[in-house]
Amino acid sequence: MASAVGVTRTSFFLDKLQSLSGIVPIGAYLAEHFFENSYALVSPGKYNYIASKLETVPWRLPIEFLLIWLPILFHGCYGIYIWWNGKANVIGHPWMANWLYVLQRWTGIIVFAFIGYHVWTVRFLSHGKTTYTDIAHYMANPWIVAIYAIGILAASFHLGNGVWNFACKWGFAVTPESQRAAGWFGALVAVVFAVIGLAIIAGFRFHWTPFDTYL
Amino acid sequence: MPDKKIIVRVKRRQRPDEPVRWEEFELRYRPHMNVITCLRDIAERPITRDGRESSPVSYEANCLEEVCGACAMLINGQPRQACSALVDNLEQPIRLEPLSKFPLVRDLVVDRSKMFEDLKRTHCWIPIDGTYDLGEGPRMSPATQETGYPLARCISCGNCLEICPKVNEHTQFVGAAIVSQVRLFNMHPTGKLHAGERLDALMGPGGIQDCDNSQNCVKVCPKGIPLTESIAAVNGQVIRHALKTWFTGRD
Repeated sequence: MASAVGVTRTSFFLDKLQSLSGIVPIGAYLAEHFFENSYALVSPGKYNYIASKLETVPWRLPIEFLLIWLPILFHGCYGIYIWWNGKANVIGHPWMANWLYVLQRWTGIIVFAFIGYHVWTVRFLSHGKTTYTDIAHYMANPWIVAIYAIGILAASFHLGNGVWNFACKWGFAVTPESQRAAGWFGALVAVVFAVIGLAIIAGFRFHWTPFDTYL
Repeated sequence: MPDKKIIVRVKRRQRPDEPVRWEEFELRYRPHMNVITCLRDIAERPITRDGRESSPVSYEANCLEEVCGACAMLINGQPRQACSALVDNLEQPIRLEPLSKFPLVRDLVVDRSKMFEDLKRTHCWIPIDGTYDLGEGPRMSPATQETGYPLARCISCGNCLEICPKVNEHTQFVGAAIVSQVRLFNMHPTGKLHAGERLDALMGPGGIQDCDNSQNCVKVCPKGIPLTESIAAVNGQVIRHALKTWFTGRD
């Protein structure tokens, strides 16, 4: 078989890796992140217990670097390059999927900026240790609540739509029917993440602990 | 009826490096007119609406029944075939522009050889010639025929490239039409023998990875080809091919 000698596959590899990294590890990490933070909805004590447990995992820095920061940096930076490579034309062609294409880019840059702010304040300024009281203090400020709400909604949309994109780009959803089903699944993912994320903010802001009956 | 007029605005350039000039023509309405008849009327009497003598508008057209792809242009901003664009269904004034993603030749004529070059680059044909009689090929199942036929209707008009956000001067993206042809030739029992070459080509620069799923292509295909289905199907083929060749050295 003649093979593609000299044909560079770099952009193929990076594009597919960009798509995959949004699901694993970034999407998977977001699920874990929302789940752990949901302990705030149980009780401040439970939240602090889980937080200190996570803050003292062995190999913490390499895990954070390899599974969280590096993938997010790659996904974001290469995503901006992909954005720059496209010319949106939704004005004049306002089709649903074309809107999703544009929104995926704008939510991406919003989330990237938000993650920068989020990590800088509650990971680095706090020297890697945060308590329920620290976050509740942040959430007393309505501007910070607004920033978090926007970040969470943008991230939820970006991940949900990304699930649909991933299903198409990796050939898991081929027929129009299966692509529509994948689209609905992505929408469900977006809604679930948005609801959980906003509930966590509400928990910190109003000291709302709906799951304290579990205690 | 006898006094009904239609207005056609044409974006014109004698040469690609010339500044754009818009010319407006007023034509006598007749039932069942399409954009090609308008262009013919202009050629018959190339006088603009403000009475200036002009020249016939250059355009490409062949079959006049939406099977050759030659007369693709932007009609009121949408890429479509001029022959099947009926004046009765169009908003006035009718705005005609050349496709913007291909090098301009003159007026409404563009050079779409990129598509032919990309069909060659991706090996979109089935070699049947040998130094001896190769005999009959394998049978094709009716199911494969049914999937393949809609793909075989592609007329390389370029509408799907025109509407794609990822086809522009930053990328070399081959576009939906070529990916769909790769799917067609890869499903053919004899064409399958060269599937790996086609997939290798689609993993190169401008390959299938440039698709970002805006799904505009399928909206403007005059032949109703399931282009997004083709792209997803070939995405699966390319991923499997890449994994197999990376891990085992061959497909």
